[in-house]
Amino acid sequence: MSVIDDLTSELAKLPGIGRKTAQRLTYHLLKQPPEQSRKLASALTTLADKVRRCDRCFNLTEDAICTICADARRDAAIICAVEEASDIGAIERAGEYRGTYHVLGGRLSPLDGIGPDDLTIPQLEQRVSGGMVREVIIATNPSMEGEATALYVQRRLAGYELTVSRIARGLPVGGDLEYADGVTIAQALTARRAML
Amino acid sequence: MTLVVTEAVVLHAFDYLESSRILRLMTRDSGIQSVLARGARSSRKRFGTSLDVFAQGTAEYSTRPGRDLSTLTAFDATRARPELVADVSRFAGACVLAEMALRFSSDEPHPGLFDAFVSGLDSIGAADAGESVSRTLGAAWHIVGELGFAPALDVCANCHTELADGARTAFSHVAGGALCERCARLVPGTRQVPPEARAAIREWLAGSSNQLASAAEGRAHQRLLREFLDQHLSEGKRLVAYGMWEREQLLVTSH
Repeated sequence: MSVIDDLTSELAKLPGIGRKTAQRLTYHLLKQPPEQSRKLASALTTLADKVRRCDRCFNLTEDAICTICADARRDAAIICAVEEASDIGAIERAGEYRGTYHVLGGRLSPLDGIGPDDLTIPQLEQRVSGGMVREVIIATNPSMEGEATALYVQRRLAGYELTVSRIARGLPVGGDLEYADGVTIAQALTARRAML
Repeated sequence: MTLVVTEAVVLHAFDYLESSRILRLMTRDSGIQSVLARGARSSRKRFGTSLDVFAQGTAEYSTRPGRDLSTLTAFDATRARPELVADVSRFAGACVLAEMALRFSSDEPHPGLFDAFVSGLDSIGAADAGESVSRTLGAAWHIVGELGFAPALDVCANCHTELADGARTAFSHVAGGALCERCARLVPGTRQVPPEARAAIREWLAGSSNQLASAAEGRAHQRLLREFLDQHLSEGKRLVAYGMWEREQLLVTSH
């Protein structure tokens, strides 16, 4: 296999990149100054060598403890459990949450062979077992698998003295009731909150 | 290009590229179909929020000859089935049915199988605590029957001699069901099945419900069904969702 084929095959393994796109990317790199390719190679090597999971929350980090866990201004008594590290960015962008996180590493999916042992639920349990955590917010996706994961985590934490909450579901901000589907409206009504 | 409009249930969904999803659907008119739902993750305008596992509705998709992946153009959901995640044991049972449909069904129309699957999901969704195992077993045997693999229960699977209703019989997966006393001595690797278990399977194959007396009875039935599926339908490939359900991996024991 030639060097060109080799790189094309490696690029084609990336999500969302097919064989043709991989080939296009390879030829694009060949047209660039060699320094550009070296920079890319160096960035990839550094990524593989330096990025790791946070020892506490399983977020992606370059140190043993991620910047969020290491931040003393964060409320360590509140943990927000998310499916993937990329979900942390979405919550952080909202700028409202000042607690810490726990990355579960996916969601329960029996059809894909993903069970509780494949997620970091025991590590979450270990974190709350110290008695310092007063709330765990379960922020898995509002899909069937996400809901099943949330329910499973809630059951696992049921024996501890803390509040287990689930992020709300319902109508989006700026949305129009008229155009919302029945399932969303039903969930919004179920999760309604008292105003008086 | 042909446009197909049919009733469907989402069996499996996984993300594809930046914003799309690939769905495996069980349809009433075209069996199992794989469809691409373009933009399903980035915009809820086209398919709504209920394009999720176990959602049922009217699917509209276009097919091209020679292509395995059709394009979903609309999905009008009529049921989202949130009751299946009100209890993890219900969810585990529903995943068993989805796995059976995905593994053992084809793209041939099979309305009877579609109805058995849908009624199975409804039955599991309505299960009280402790009932989900028997409901799942019932729905699974109903599906096995619809697939044409119902075991012989009233006559010997080997010599076709009629079997007495109240008799404890040997059950052979290789022979395809219960055996008379004489044949049981000739066929190796049989299991003893009490008359109540045989009656339960008979009820389940007919689509009726049957509550099990104990958890141990449920586990024996789970093992029997797993062995039967392995013998006749699995083609040597492990059933992962079934294994998780049988090992009760999603159940939480209290602290």
